[in-house]
Amino acid sequence: MIELKNLTKRFGDVVAVNRLTLTISKGEIFGFIGPNGAGKTTTLRMMGGVLAPTEGSVIIDGIDMAERPELAKRRIGFIPDRPFLYEKLTGMEFMRFTADLYGVDGRLVYEKSKEILKQFSLDDWADDLIESYSHGMKQRLIISAALLHDPEVMIVDEPMVGLDPAGIRMVKRLFRDLAGKGTTLFMSTHTLAVAEDVCDRIGILHKGLLIATGTIEELRQRARVREGDLEKVFLILTEGEPAP
Amino acid sequence: MRELLALLKPRFWSFRNRGDSENERGRLLRLFVFAILGLAFWGGTFLIFYRVLSYFHGSEGFGDVVAHKLLSMALITFFSLLIFSGILTSLSKLYLSKDLQMVHSMPVSREKIFLARWIECTIDSSWMVFVYSLPVFLSYGIVYKAGVSYYAVVGAGLLPFGLMASSVSALIVMMAAILLPAGRIRSAFFFLSFLLFLVLATAFRLMRPERFANPESFSTVMLYLESLESPSSPLLPTTWFYDALRAGLSGSGRAAFFQLALSWSGAMTMIFVTTWIAGAVYFAGFSKAQTVAGRLFRLSGSTRKPGLFSLNFLSGPARAYTVKEIKTFFRDKTQWSQIFLVVALIVIYLYNFAVLPFGESHMRTGYLQNLVSFLNMGLAAFVLSAVSARFVFPAVSLEGEAFWIVKSSPVSIRTFLWVKFFIYLLPLLLLSEVLIVATNILLHVSPFMMILSVLTMLFMVPGIVSMGIGLGAIYPNFKSETPTQSVTSLGGLIYMTLCIGFIAAVVVLEAGPVHSVFISRLHRSGLTSIQWLRLVGSLGLASVFCAAAVLVPIRLGEKRILQKELGRQNPPGRKPR
Repeated sequence: MIELKNLTKRFGDVVAVNRLTLTISKGEIFGFIGPNGAGKTTTLRMMGGVLAPTEGSVIIDGIDMAERPELAKRRIGFIPDRPFLYEKLTGMEFMRFTADLYGVDGRLVYEKSKEILKQFSLDDWADDLIESYSHGMKQRLIISAALLHDPEVMIVDEPMVGLDPAGIRMVKRLFRDLAGKGTTLFMSTHTLAVAEDVCDRIGILHKGLLIATGTIEELRQRARVREGDLEKVFLILTEGEPAP
Repeated sequence: MRELLALLKPRFWSFRNRGDSENERGRLLRLFVFAILGLAFWGGTFLIFYRVLSYFHGSEGFGDVVAHKLLSMALITFFSLLIFSGILTSLSKLYLSKDLQMVHSMPVSREKIFLARWIECTIDSSWMVFVYSLPVFLSYGIVYKAGVSYYAVVGAGLLPFGLMASSVSALIVMMAAILLPAGRIRSAFFFLSFLLFLVLATAFRLMRPERFANPESFSTVMLYLESLESPSSPLLPTTWFYDALRAGLSGSGRAAFFQLALSWSGAMTMIFVTTWIAGAVYFAGFSKAQTVAGRLFRLSGSTRKPGLFSLNFLSGPARAYTVKEIKTFFRDKTQWSQIFLVVALIVIYLYNFAVLPFGESHMRTGYLQNLVSFLNMGLAAFVLSAVSARFVFPAVSLEGEAFWIVKSSPVSIRTFLWVKFFIYLLPLLLLSEVLIVATNILLHVSPFMMILSVLTMLFMVPGIVSMGIGLGAIYPNFKSETPTQSVTSLGGLIYMTLCIGFIAAVVVLEAGPVHSVFISRLHRSGLTSIQWLRLVGSLGLASVFCAAAVLVPIRLGEKRILQKELGRQNPPGRKPR
């Protein structure tokens, strides 16, 4: 469903993402972890069509993002790390705006928006301006809007930032449900526990290079750790911390 | 003192490092353009004042009285400008800046935070007024052959003058902040700025300067001059500075020193009082400003229905952006004052045409009326460019940090730009046609001129709007807190320059053939074949210009947006090489 081929991004002389090659199958939840500045957000932005790669390609459901960006983006629900929105629209108006952009059937928009906003506990706020929302509410609104057109691929940058524990639990459940229905999820996170709980496979990015990829068990073997959580594995692989 | 300096350092460092985050070539180009414009304005101000003062100085009797009254009025204007500019800067620096939360979390007293911010406000709000007041003072010094002491008085008097104005501004803003939430204060001040402009413009128009061309009104002017001798209040800072300058001009050092001492003691007292009041009320106002500004008009229940405002005849993306643009525009109260300003500008524009003395027999000629109408096309297009610079040029930047929504949506950047183009084209085309038809009616122009004007505007307006959208996309600023003011940026300047060039090119191309048509009508003869060729060629070329002005900017804007990387340009701490 998602193919990254030699994906590279350079900012001047700095290589933020270096020849990244990955394939993620339909219905899989792939977690992307790495230290600050590793290139996670840059990768996700290239996948979302927000940033043009220097080299390589992003293929979504067989569609090359560089060649047919509109078609590829129609299949994606993109959720950035920082919830910048049109502050002077209400939550419902933003849903309507998104629906128009993504070509959602106009007859269904209102009911569907209401349903999703209710799921994210935003129904009481639907007619309030976004400028009055908290950070977490804005994040929930972005997730709601991203779900409106039933995307086949969800690209999510730091999904849990700003969410309260109930919100985190709800989002984790939502991701699993979506994957169960065949949606592919590609998420970056600093919250290793979330990656451990939700992801089928995890990739570790370090200084722009994909240094390891696999299930939790595979990563443990790679780090030569018999026991311990993902944090231990992460530290060994990224900082060269000695294995126990 | 150490804490005060520490609070001021980030501003100094940011200023020093500003080149690191900017394209060096673009920065130099902008500096160059601004320097040229600034120097031209500075030189122009000096020349005007020098000529006017030389004329007054050479006039027996009332000349010096008028010159001194002019100085007094200039000082009052400078002081008002300083206060007004100070209010807008203080509002932003003391209550609305993004870094204030961090600053207030630091272990520094509120008085010191206030003082540091107030110093920044004073510098930001007064440097330009100071720079552009210098040609005025210089022209007085040269015309009245003042000694070095006069220039010393100017230097020593300007500083307390600015400090006092800045203190007054800070006091006004602090008082307003404890009465209103910050979002409302901003709206209130924008309305005030509109009112100030309207009062000034109306007062100027009511003076009807065109009457001065009539010698019979001179008796009234002489009566007016007698009133000029009336003294100003001795409690006003402008009076202290004015008296100091007059003493400096006449070489009375002791009198100048006394007035300067008054100014300095007044300034120090005001700073002390302002800081003391700030200690008591600033933080309370700041806390109040943290609440979200309420909506001026709550949304009624009917807007919740999806049918309203649905504009179903448009395609999905066009509808999405149109509805978003219209709603955002009308909910952003800062835009309202802009609309009022435009309305005031248009009313004054139309009024000027209404008072043109075409009723007088010696000027009643069809030729002159049509000539004025022809020039009016250029003028109306220029007014439209100014309006576009305020509304259309910032249209792309207004997407702000939410621009990721556009980039990640399944709609091409080209479509996005064209939708923006049409959103702004319709109201601006309507506005310009109303303007040109109304002024032509007031001028009683011929039907030929009326049709030509309407068609010219119909062809020029899309070009002006497209250049606004295109250049706004080439020079976007998604991080600006005030994108509507981006007209003063390099992109804004280039936009205005290109608009003027475009309007001039079209008007010049039309001028020759139109002249031929008028002359042939005057002589009741037909056009020669060469004149016909010129007519077709010129109008054809003008049409090509108009078409290029529509198509090229959008293409270039699209290309630039696709090239420009959204978000972080360089990893932290790294410079582009």
